Amino acid sequence: MRKVLLIAAAALGCMMLEAGVPACAQDFSKAKIDVIVKATTSQYWATVFDGARAAARVLGVQIATLGAPSELDAAQEVSITENAISAKPTGIVIAATNAQALAEPIAAATKAGIPVVVIDSDANTDQYVTFLATNNETGGQKAADEMARCVKARTGADTGKIAYLTALAGAQSLNDRDKGFLEGLKKYPGLTIVEHRVGNNQPSRALSDSEDLLTRHPDLVGMFADNELEGDGAGTALSEKGLGSKVCLVAFDTSDTEIKFVRSGIIDALIVQNPYMMGYAGVWYALAAAHGVVFPKYVDTGVSVVTKDNIDSPQMVGLLDPSKYVLTPFLGVQ
Amino acid sequence: MSGGALSRPAEEEARGAFLAELQHRLPLETYVLALTVLVWVLLGVLSPYFWTAGNITNILRQVSIDAILAFGSLFPIILAGIDLSVGSVAGLAGVVFSMLIADAGQGLLVAFVATLAMGIAIGVINGWAIDRLGIPPFIVTLAGLQGYRGLALLLSGGETISGMPAGLQAFSLSSVAHIPTLFILMAVIGFGAHFLLAYTRLGRYMYAIGSNAEAARRVGIRVIHVTTIAYGLAALFATISGLLLVARLSMGSPTAATGSELAAIAASVVGGASLFGGRGTILGCFIGALLFTTIGNGANLLGINSFWQMVIEGLLIAFVVYFDNLQKRRQAGMG
Repeated sequence: MRKVLLIAAAALGCMMLEAGVPACAQDFSKAKIDVIVKATTSQYWATVFDGARAAARVLGVQIATLGAPSELDAAQEVSITENAISAKPTGIVIAATNAQALAEPIAAATKAGIPVVVIDSDANTDQYVTFLATNNETGGQKAADEMARCVKARTGADTGKIAYLTALAGAQSLNDRDKGFLEGLKKYPGLTIVEHRVGNNQPSRALSDSEDLLTRHPDLVGMFADNELEGDGAGTALSEKGLGSKVCLVAFDTSDTEIKFVRSGIIDALIVQNPYMMGYAGVWYALAAAHGVVFPKYVDTGVSVVTKDNIDSPQMVGLLDPSKYVLTPFLGVQ
Repeated sequence: MSGGALSRPAEEEARGAFLAELQHRLPLETYVLALTVLVWVLLGVLSPYFWTAGNITNILRQVSIDAILAFGSLFPIILAGIDLSVGSVAGLAGVVFSMLIADAGQGLLVAFVATLAMGIAIGVINGWAIDRLGIPPFIVTLAGLQGYRGLALLLSGGETISGMPAGLQAFSLSSVAHIPTLFILMAVIGFGAHFLLAYTRLGRYMYAIGSNAEAARRVGIRVIHVTTIAYGLAALFATISGLLLVARLSMGSPTAATGSELAAIAASVVGGASLFGGRGTILGCFIGALLFTTIGNGANLLGINSFWQMVIEGLLIAFVVYFDNLQKRRQAGMG
C-alpha cells in the first residue's frame, strides 16, 4: 500500500516533507478528479470523501464528490458516471454499487481515455487502473484470531461454542467476512460454530437474535458480528444480560455505539477498514495513472484490530474518527 | 345392540353439528390464539430454554414495540384503508427525538412531547389527504413511506445518533413485579385502543365506515373526522414505537423499523382483521404480533435457518387468511 503510493508520488514528482504539506514539482490545479461513491448519506462514504479531499489538498487538484443518496441505487450511479464521462475529468475514483450495472460505464470511461480507480467494491470488468479495497476475507480471519485470543484469555483454553451473525443476505463483502472468519477458525479446532443467524441490517433484529442465542446457548463463549449494525445489537444484548465479561464479542466496522462497547469491555475487538485511505490513495492513483503510471490490478487497504488497549493510540483514533486522521510525512501512510 | 349401532352416527352427527356451531360462533382470534398456545407447548417440548424466565421476559419485551405499531395500523385497516407509512414514521420519530436530545440538548420531556406532536400532525395530514383530497390511502401512505424515511435520512445525514441518556435504556429494561415495563406500557395502550374501538361511539363509527362508507355518511357520521382520527392514531402509535426503539437500543437510527409496516399489517390480518374493512380487534392484533414474535424466538432457539423462518411466516399468513375465508363462506352458507 505504502510502496505503491510512493511510486505514484515519485512519478508525479511529489514529496511530502511534513504532514499534509505538499511539495509537487508540477502544478496540478487544472486537474479534476471525480469521486463517485455508493451512497452520500452514510458515515462510511463521508470518510472516503474526507480522504479524497485531503489528497486533493496535498496535490492541489480539484475534486467533485458525487453519488446517489441511497446505496443500491445502481441506475442513478450509472447516470452519474455517464455524466461524469461527458465532462472529461482527469480521472474517476468510483465504488460500484452493483458489479454488473457499473461494469459498462467504467469500461466506457477507460475507453474515453479517463483513468478509473475502483475502490471498495469491484465491478465485472478489467477495464480500470486498479482496485483499491479492503480484503474482507483477511478481515474475517483476523476476527477469528481475535476471537481465539479473547477466549483463551478468558478461559485459559481455546475451546468453546461460537455463534456468528450476518447482517444481511446476499452482500458480497459480508459473505467474504464470514468466509474468512470460518476459514480462520479452522486453526482453532476447539472453537466450534454452533449457530449462524442472518438479520435484516437492523440493530433491533440483531438484538432479539442475540438475546435468543444467549438463551439457547448459556455456555456460549464467543460471538462474531459482521458489520456495525449487527455489532450494535449483539453488544446491546450482552450488556443487557451482563454477559460482557463472559462472552467474547468481535465485530466489524465502527459506530459510536460499538466504540462505547469497546471502552466498556463488551466488545473485545473491532475489525476496522480504512475508507479514508481508499479516498486518499484513490485520488493519488487516478492522477498518477493520468500521467502514465501503471499500477497493480489490486491494492489492499488493510484492516486494523481495535481493542480496549489500543483504542486511544494515534493510529486507531484516526480510523475511528476521520476528523482526527493524522497524515504523517511520506504521504500519510504509516 | 342394534340401537347402539344406530345411535353412533347420530351421535357423530350431533358432535359434528356442535363443532360446526362452535366454529360458526368463535372468532378467528380464538384459532390464532390456540395456534399460538400450540406453538408455545411445542417449543416448550423442543427447547429446554423456552419456558425460562429469561426467555419469557425476552419475548414480552420483543413483542411490545411490534404490537404497538400493529395496534396503530389496525385503525386504518378497520376503515378499509391502509397505512404503509407507519414504519417510516417510527424511524423519523426516532431520529427527531434523539436529535432533539443529542444535538439540540433538549430535555427528555420536551423531546418526547415535540415528537408526539409531530407524529399526530403527520397522521392528521394523512387522514385529511385521504378524505378531503380523495387520494386513495394506499397512495397517500406510500408517499409517506418514502417521504418520511427520506426526511429521517436527510435530518440525520444517514447516520445513527448516539448520546442518549443512560436512564432511557434503563427504562426500557426495567420491570414492574417481574413484568417488563415495555410490556405493561403496551398493555395499557392496548386496553385504551380496545376500549375506544369496542365501547365508544367513535370506535363503532370506525367499524361502520369500514363496512359501508356511503351508508355511514348517509346516517350522518362525519367520515372526515373519524378518518383523520384513525390515521392520527396510526401515526401516534408509530411515533410511540419509534421512541421505544430509541430507548431500547440507546440510539436513533434513520433506518429503524424499515419494512415493519408490513409486519404490522400481517399481525393485524393474522389476528382476524379484514383488509376490506369493518373487522378486526386489538386483542387479535396482539395475538398476531405475539405469534410472529414467538416464531422468531422459536426459530432462534431451535436454530432454524433464518430463511426458512421467512418461509414459515409467509405460509402462516396465507394459511390464516385462507382459513378465515373458508370460515366466512361457511358462515354465509349457514346464515
